Amino acid sequence: MIFPSSLSRLLSYELKKWMATISLSITQRLAYKVNFFLLFLGPMLVFFLVQYNLWHSLFLFREGAPIGGYTRDEMIAYQGWVLVTALLTQGFHSRDLAQDIRLGRISSYLIYPFDFWQYHLGTFLGLQCIQLCIATTAVAALFFTGVFQELSATHLFLGVSVALCAGLLWYLIQYALGLFAFWIEQTWTLRVLFALIASFCSGAIFPLELLPEWAREIVLLSPFPYLTYVPVKTFLGAELDLPLPAPVALTFWSIVVWGCGKLLWNRGMRMYTAAGM
Amino acid sequence: MKNLRTQMQYYGTLYRSFFELCAAEALSFRTHFVLLIVVDLIFYGTMFGTAEVLYHHVEEIGPWNRSQFLFFVAFFLTVDQLHMTLFAMSFWEFSSDLRLGKLDFWLVKPAHILFIVFFRHIRVASLLLAPLVWGALIFSGIQVGLSPLSWCMLPLLVLLSLALLITMEILLSAAMFWTVENDGINFLRMQVQSVGRWPDFIYQYLFQKLFSVFIPILLVTSAPVHYLLQTRGEEVLFFLLAALLGMLFLVSKVWRYALLRYESASS
Repeated sequence: MIFPSSLSRLLSYELKKWMATISLSITQRLAYKVNFFLLFLGPMLVFFLVQYNLWHSLFLFREGAPIGGYTRDEMIAYQGWVLVTALLTQGFHSRDLAQDIRLGRISSYLIYPFDFWQYHLGTFLGLQCIQLCIATTAVAALFFTGVFQELSATHLFLGVSVALCAGLLWYLIQYALGLFAFWIEQTWTLRVLFALIASFCSGAIFPLELLPEWAREIVLLSPFPYLTYVPVKTFLGAELDLPLPAPVALTFWSIVVWGCGKLLWNRGMRMYTAAGM
Repeated sequence: MKNLRTQMQYYGTLYRSFFELCAAEALSFRTHFVLLIVVDLIFYGTMFGTAEVLYHHVEEIGPWNRSQFLFFVAFFLTVDQLHMTLFAMSFWEFSSDLRLGKLDFWLVKPAHILFIVFFRHIRVASLLLAPLVWGALIFSGIQVGLSPLSWCMLPLLVLLSLALLITMEILLSAAMFWTVENDGINFLRMQVQSVGRWPDFIYQYLFQKLFSVFIPILLVTSAPVHYLLQTRGEEVLFFLLAALLGMLFLVSKVWRYALLRYESASS
């Protein structure tokens, strides 16, 4: 039986490890600031600028006539929220994780009092802290530049909550993809493949209402809309017609992907040899 | 003249060796080989898919109808496929070579450093997709009814576009000599490419100028396609050539300066 004092010591000990990892992750990410900007923020900003120009000009060519039920201002606001959602969800990628496996560095984690998955989750949480600050700045900048015509505290709170859950799902997918390093030499192809499909099916390039009915129904059965479309619509305060409520679907997909990750880790560890260690 | 021929033969032999080595390496990792093909196919699918979705809701984007826009996409993918096959991997390897000090070995080789660094890694898997993208380009060219002159100019313009893209990327990559972590520069390179995936007329004035004059990525695909579709005159070809010559000049100057800046990581 664990006494309250022992439990509190244990919790404090665990918390220290998590806080140290998160702090280390923040320091590491910000050590090379230009690299951080180009690696994490640059792609999202360029994506937004391209999307902004594209939709702005499409509406200009049509003299403001709506496209797929969206007016010019609604579409620009949609793209603005895509940027905020991307900042909150798509920061983590499993390159470091795959390298740890490929170069045999996971042997260290096997003897540390902090598991491999705990370390990488801590790294992800550290990155999320930075991204949350950047996303807050982005929301303010987009509001003052008129991209967002109005801000509602309720929708903002709900949107951030859904986006953070979507970020966790993104992390779990990236984690599972990184674990393929046990079997294949390069996992970046899987990451790129996932990013390509996600950008098309998640509603990042265009809202899912623009897809043909049959395609939208198929896409809504996958986890992709929950990575961008659902958080964006929550930020916008729009009614969503989903097969499952967003929190339930996000929990469901997170559990499924986490289970796949667990399975991959167990299988991978069975064949891991750490040559030269 | 004889000297030039000997040089060409020498570099030809070197390039053949690079290709054989890359082919042997690619076939050793078959899962990766297949995945590379799948990634490219999905990329092509998303490019055409995005255009289809947009044209499902609008009849024209700027001055172009659906067929003209699909020709633009096919042209972009043809340049991109050549870029992916012949050069893309080299930029990532260069980043790693620079950080690990492996550039020392390439600097002492009896060949031009730019040739060794940027022509060494060939992605054999992407080579297999060449018939697909060229097929799409020819098919979309027939759909838009290219003139005989445009058909003759098409291969030349693809090569010119590729040359401009590569010189621009080499110039951007020279920045790696000044940075400690180089992956960011490679990501910047990819972002610049992503700007060129859309025609120039979708961008507002400031962006058009920025990406046509300072970083002339919009000239890579938009300029030749405008010429081929005759939506603009010959002046776009002049801009394309001028940008290419300007980039070549800058590469020769900046690269020399960057090499002086190089401090081997291993010595």
